[in-house]
Amino acid sequence: MKISVDHDRCEGHGLCAVQAPAVFDLDDDAHVVHQFEGGTVPPEHVEAARSAVNVCPVAALRELT
Amino acid sequence: MPRHPDVPAYAPDIYSTQAVLDPYPHYAKLRELGPVVWLPKHKVYALPRYAECKAVLLNDKTFTSGEGVALNSLTNRFSRGTTLNSDGEDHTGRRALVAHRLTPRALRTMKEAVECQAAEIVDAALARRDVDGVDIAEALPTAVVPDLVGWPQEQRKNLLSWGAATFDVLGPLNARAAAATFRGLGVMRFARGVVRRRSILPGSMGDDLLRAADEGKIARSECPALMIDYLVPSLDTTLSAIASALHLFATHPGQWQLLKNDPGLIPNAINEIVRYESPLRAFSRKVAEDTVLAGTALPAGSRVLVLYASANRDALEWENPDTFDIRRDASRQLGFGRGTHGCAGQGLARLEVQAILQALVARVEKIVPTGEPEWGLNNIIRRLHRLPLELVPA
Repeated sequence: MKISVDHDRCEGHGLCAVQAPAVFDLDDDAHVVHQFEGGTVPPEHVEAARSAVNVCPVAALRELT
Repeated sequence: MPRHPDVPAYAPDIYSTQAVLDPYPHYAKLRELGPVVWLPKHKVYALPRYAECKAVLLNDKTFTSGEGVALNSLTNRFSRGTTLNSDGEDHTGRRALVAHRLTPRALRTMKEAVECQAAEIVDAALARRDVDGVDIAEALPTAVVPDLVGWPQEQRKNLLSWGAATFDVLGPLNARAAAATFRGLGVMRFARGVVRRRSILPGSMGDDLLRAADEGKIARSECPALMIDYLVPSLDTTLSAIASALHLFATHPGQWQLLKNDPGLIPNAINEIVRYESPLRAFSRKVAEDTVLAGTALPAGSRVLVLYASANRDALEWENPDTFDIRRDASRQLGFGRGTHGCAGQGLARLEVQAILQALVARVEKIVPTGEPEWGLNNIIRRLHRLPLELVPA
């Protein structure tokens, strides 16, 4: 499973980092950091990552099939 | 706009007093009828299920907000210039003016103050023991939000009534909306005066707005509408969630015990509270171009009604949707909307609800209902009007 990030859309709400701290973090400018950007999310984090995609208030995260 | 003959219709008024007080049976009937249901009374295509609500919220090019999200054209005309009621670059620009104020980083500086205020509110309530839960729910948003927005001290007593009125006029043009119009004009007049006199608290969101106008980033004439845009949605909504939380934990003592045993469940509980009793019933979108949704052809110019509160109870999306369970993953609930118009203030709202629940969990053994709760009458906001409770200290 891969997740794309629309960095222009991110407003730094940080809810993804709460749902999936192993996958998402916020940098010092409160901008999302995706630990596996461009790569595959490890299976053990898929469920949490999916929750993060679902909770993003501005839909900046998208699951790629 | 006539409906397509194949689309099921639902004749009852989902904004009647009865339906506003007890909306869920109506939503269940709508969901049963199909993914797209024509409401002849309001001449709108209702979307009662989760999948279509989410799809529409994520497709803001086809389903636009710029011509209003209300169920009546009068409000849609008058509310131009707000963030709620704009699309594309206009919307992004307006939203960017305040988004930085509402990031987790900016909110971190407020966290301690909000938690202190929440503790004081709960301590005062515990001292009384017999309380109206709505008073507890009102106290925190009205202490936090007006300062953040920079609303001057004068006229703060009117804010809740103005907020409710501003929501009422976003429904259909029924008696409730008509009665609210006058109060809605009152808040607009006051906001214009605040901008003209520059009586905004320094260092606040409103102050940012006036500076942006000074620098020519936005027109000064946009400022009053945007001031209202920041203030009004931040009071009644959060109040609704806190009051519903108190009501739900009073009527589900097992869930309260779960929360007390593991306060780490609080963030999840907030999602479940907003899923189960969504503070916002519904907003509409205008269909910008001919499109097809769940097999139904929707012509350009028609309106769809995104029923957040129904989507959050859709059995196609949720297991046992009518069961309140803070252990379920309710993070995908649509109570804060989704996409470009997703609630900008949800970080603040979550912070407030979290602070109140933390204070309660630490101090209260049991929340006991002591009388019949009463729900308020509002076209948009579902919230308790009276909630008699006894707080039993830990």
